[in-house]
Amino acid sequence: MFGHTSPVSRRGFLTVGAVGGLGLTLGDWFALRHAAAAENEYVSPPVKAQSVIHIFLPGGISAQESFDPKPLAPIEYRGELRAIPTKIAGEQFSELLPRTAGIADKLTVVRSLTHSEAAHERGVQNMLTGYRPSPALEFPSLGSIVSHEFGPRKNLPAYICVPNMPSPYAGPGYLSAAYAPFSLGDDPARNGFKVRDLNLPGGVDEARFTRRREALAAVNQSFVDRTQADGVAAMNSFYQRAFDLIGSESAREAFNIDAEDGKMRDRYGRHQAGQRMLMARRLVEAGARFVTLSYGGWDHHVQVTGNMRRLMPAFDQAFAALVSDLDERGLLDDTLVLVSTEFGRTPKLNQDGGRDHWAKVFSVVAAGGGMRRGMVVGSSGATATEPEDTPVSPEDLATTVLHQLGIPAEKELMAPGARPIEIVKGGQVRREMLT
Amino acid sequence: MKFAGPQRKSQVVVDFLRESTNPAPRRSPELSCNQAPKVDFRRKSTTLLAPWALQLRLRLASFALWAAVYSPAPIAHAEEPAESAASPPVAAEFVELAVYPPQVRLEHGADAQRVIAVATRADGVTVDVTSQVQWSRAGEGPELLAVDAGVVTPRAVGNALLQAQLGELTAATDVQVAAVDPPGAPEFRHDVMPVFMRAGCNAGGCHGAALGKDGFQLSLFGYDPAGDYYRLTRQLSTRRINRALPDDSLLLQKAIAGVPHTGGKRFTPDDEYYAAIHDWIAAGAGDDAEQAATVESLQIYPPQAVLEGSDAAQQFIAVATYSDGEQRDVTDLAVFLSNNDASAAVGDSGLVTAANAGEAFVTARFDVHTVGSQVLSLSPEAKYEPPAEPPANFIDELVEAKLSKLRVSPSGLCTDDEFLRRVTIDLAGRLPTAEERAALHDDQSPERREHVVDALLASPDFVDVWALKWAEILLVRSEPNRVEYKPMYLYWQWIRNHVAAGTPADAMVRELISASGSSFLEPEVNFYQIEPDAKKIAENAAQAFLGIRVQCAQCHNHPFDRWTMDDYYSFAAFFSQIARKRTEDYREILVFNRGGGESTLPVTGKAMPPKFLGGEQPEINRRDRREVVAEWIASPDNPYFAANLANRAWSHMLGVGIVEPVDDVRVSNPPSNPELLDALAARLVKHEFDIRKLLRDIATSYAYQRTVETTAGNAHDQRNFAHALVRRIPAEALLDCVSQATGAPERLPGLPPGARALEVADGNGGNYFLTAFGRSKRTTVCACEASAEPTLSQALHMLNGNTVHGKITQGGLVKTWLEEGRTPAEVIAAIYDRCLGRAPSEAESQQLLALCGDNEKPVAELEDAFWAVLNSREFLFNH
Repeated sequence: MFGHTSPVSRRGFLTVGAVGGLGLTLGDWFALRHAAAAENEYVSPPVKAQSVIHIFLPGGISAQESFDPKPLAPIEYRGELRAIPTKIAGEQFSELLPRTAGIADKLTVVRSLTHSEAAHERGVQNMLTGYRPSPALEFPSLGSIVSHEFGPRKNLPAYICVPNMPSPYAGPGYLSAAYAPFSLGDDPARNGFKVRDLNLPGGVDEARFTRRREALAAVNQSFVDRTQADGVAAMNSFYQRAFDLIGSESAREAFNIDAEDGKMRDRYGRHQAGQRMLMARRLVEAGARFVTLSYGGWDHHVQVTGNMRRLMPAFDQAFAALVSDLDERGLLDDTLVLVSTEFGRTPKLNQDGGRDHWAKVFSVVAAGGGMRRGMVVGSSGATATEPEDTPVSPEDLATTVLHQLGIPAEKELMAPGARPIEIVKGGQVRREMLT
Repeated sequence: MKFAGPQRKSQVVVDFLRESTNPAPRRSPELSCNQAPKVDFRRKSTTLLAPWALQLRLRLASFALWAAVYSPAPIAHAEEPAESAASPPVAAEFVELAVYPPQVRLEHGADAQRVIAVATRADGVTVDVTSQVQWSRAGEGPELLAVDAGVVTPRAVGNALLQAQLGELTAATDVQVAAVDPPGAPEFRHDVMPVFMRAGCNAGGCHGAALGKDGFQLSLFGYDPAGDYYRLTRQLSTRRINRALPDDSLLLQKAIAGVPHTGGKRFTPDDEYYAAIHDWIAAGAGDDAEQAATVESLQIYPPQAVLEGSDAAQQFIAVATYSDGEQRDVTDLAVFLSNNDASAAVGDSGLVTAANAGEAFVTARFDVHTVGSQVLSLSPEAKYEPPAEPPANFIDELVEAKLSKLRVSPSGLCTDDEFLRRVTIDLAGRLPTAEERAALHDDQSPERREHVVDALLASPDFVDVWALKWAEILLVRSEPNRVEYKPMYLYWQWIRNHVAAGTPADAMVRELISASGSSFLEPEVNFYQIEPDAKKIAENAAQAFLGIRVQCAQCHNHPFDRWTMDDYYSFAAFFSQIARKRTEDYREILVFNRGGGESTLPVTGKAMPPKFLGGEQPEINRRDRREVVAEWIASPDNPYFAANLANRAWSHMLGVGIVEPVDDVRVSNPPSNPELLDALAARLVKHEFDIRKLLRDIATSYAYQRTVETTAGNAHDQRNFAHALVRRIPAEALLDCVSQATGAPERLPGLPPGARALEVADGNGGNYFLTAFGRSKRTTVCACEASAEPTLSQALHMLNGNTVHGKITQGGLVKTWLEEGRTPAEVIAAIYDRCLGRAPSEAESQQLLALCGDNEKPVAELEDAFWAVLNSREFLFNH
């Protein structure tokens, strides 16, 4: 019922429904719950990426202090940090990214991302949903779209947030809550980390749980048989998914970061960035389709240098470890890693040594999942003021990511009011990012 | 609600072409006289000389399609009633005949108006008989008009009565021919702007997008004609229109795909749409800003259609009335949409075709107006079986009237036990107690269910339930640095006190909207503190108290409703003079009327005077604007206020609103049963806004008391209350139910032990269970914030979380019962009784007992049975 993989058209459903009785529906109601797909024409692209690890950096990270240094610009533009060479000939990263520079030949760096939403919540929406915010409609995040289009795999929820949703806009938007992310609710970097409600409560062993399930089947039977209500059917399916998850040791084990070798945990780094990225790798390895993790707070209106020195090294260690680890495991070709943020920071440092919001140009980084290795797309010019060439919009980025997953962005989903909405509107697949 | 996609539109154009090139279309005699032999020649040479003649030709040509539809139509001119042998009227079965529009006004020699005749059968089914009736002009006088295939055209100035006859039945419409002069050249606002909407040019996906499309922008759905005029004629000066060679205008070339156009071909050079734009350019592309009449209203006819069988069809027409009195047939210019294509699809020409049995709402949009008609599509086989019991009150009469019209039979009534559980959860947010069940069983009077309702409505538990309802839409929540815990808590208490005291809802809302003062002493001012933006406050007030979402109109005219940007900024003006200041106590805020500050319309930069939504512009006389709007909002005469409250009450009890969502009242989202909504609203006014009395009416109606079990004929009904709906118990009430069933009270943050989850004041408060089960965070006034959507986290928490497992152990009921000497079978019965309000079936009892084995004191086994009952859907849902 949920997460069907074959497209069921709304009309098709209603026709089927009408056979059973007097198809009495008022359009929207069923449309929303049963086949949230409109009827436009689209072609599904071939699947290149099986899963996505989305590393979201809230607050808006400075590109100048990370992936797009401006060593030749005047000091008030370039800031205090030096630039270092990378594995991509002629391209430089900030000195705070030495390890990432060492694996840059596996990365696709887009230095010309651009949009016009320089307020936090609007920028977040634009980047997480591929849509500019609308007062009339809340759009689904990419993770929820993937969950809606594909459903769970290997008993793991399709869309998982580590540790929690980075923003309310990481949710299902106008889609049903069924496509909301499953949030870990706890930080993998914390000692004694545990995902809520995943394991049987104390005093309940497998045998007792089996007995409970038998009892539940006995009690549940008559009511479920008698009612055809949608909500009940949906709840049944979530119970089934919960049983699948609880019952699948490999799925549950994916959440158990303690099962990871100590050396591997050290390699990613025993900090938030490291353990969250390691958790994300465990989850996609076990079958999750879209894992969104957040790290740090990058809204550096004050002291951008100091703040970057504080936050960046952990990211550098973890990200380089993640990309190399995925590559070593042969997972990088199937797994699209995306590092994105809300927007960039102003070209010039302000009087507090910080940088303010700047949406006109900033950087995002991708790796794997059919992205072109060792590629730099676009440029932000001499001072990171605006895209000098190849501007890439959030719509383009979202469309490209979905394209790699085999989801056509032009496909329409049904929003409330029986309003068909394209998954992402007006974006292009950016071939220059792809192999 | 499809924004015309390129593919769909071009398909329509092709269809139209095919139709209009039909070799033998019906044409009236006038047509042939003015018909120019060669289109190209005419365009380039004669247009300027006699544009009206061409307009006439093209206008009539567009009616040719109409004529083709109504082909074997008998023609009757003036006093020569012609008998038609072709279509013998089957008038006997009809009881009523109607002709639309009820009044026809023809403005110029080239004017024309479609008329339709609709006959109604005794069983309410309507049939489009436009081609079967005999049209004739009744009364004396010279020949003023011609009727051909349902199209009226003028001949001479004067008034006449146009009559339709079908057997014994007749119906008539007044026809006024105001003038027979040739029409003037097309005007921008009157003739050109409608084309942009009809052809989809200014839709959100095309040039109506905020940044336009491919370098050309039109205002979305035409909210800014002046801007559109500027962009066409001045921006990029001569690029878009060519006054010397109108046919070469890029605007037209793009529209007919004469040059590459992303949006494809929108119409052809033979269309009246092309003619309107072409002739406007040829006449100098003038601006009619000053003198243009505005569209005052739009009508869609017929007002309702009841179609039987899947091939039945009904033509709809749209008629616009202008501020200068002009009446115009805009069927060709309006955009027709159906909200349920599966039951009744509507074509671009306004022809509605029935499909599966069901209900649809067909809307026509023209200018800023949207109007709609209800269309029922009935199966010839279905039959209505009235319920066994007579209506309990007015509610049942109206619900049954609708069901009978739909030929959907209602389910039977639920049992007393089912009723008690259902109504206790709805009105008290908890499960019925053993005493309540015993009392109901002992009460043998026919009014025993009413006694239950009365007791619940008088109980303090009801206050918890209804205060929560208000707290959700009044945004009771703390927010760091904005609303501290103390004022938030006082705000919540203000609501509770009013609900407990039974303050009429109108008085409470008036007090809130006009509130000024300290957030400690007049805590209702927190409504203005939690949301500081005047525009948002206006949106919140409209949505919370009137159920109207005006958000869209902040940036463009509402695409599916009547609200324009003017309406939006005029309404926002009521809230533009709120000021706030801090006091010595950082938690306290003073809210007061600043006496200045305006709401400006961004398109013009003009300050908008305060004006009620869809109402008048009141005298303010230096009063606080909010006092003025408070009086209007909470007035019994306000068409939205009582209806909105009544609908929220109805939705709370029945699980779905008559308008659904309850806070999305708009033309294109009509009530499923308008008569019922009106009656409930009137009843609430009669009850002087005492919500308890209205809830009593609802809870004691049979509509509320039907079983959730469906029949083959009504299983698909979700909106007309043929059976009760199964609803997941809301988060707060569900947690209270679990606590109550297990005898283990919840420890809630900031509240004493034993406090109910319903009593958590802060929208930002609560615990994991409440969040997971969709408790409203109250960050917006949207009713959708409280969600009953199931999730994986809910299932996991019920299965493995500490709420169910922990509470069973903590409450220790199983152990106590066994120690009291009850047998395992008795314990199982007690669990069922407590949680589900029923005895276990023999099979259930046997299966659960089997799990206990031979154990004398099977505590763990029976606790597992308890766990299973709490995890069952029967427990989680209200039914």
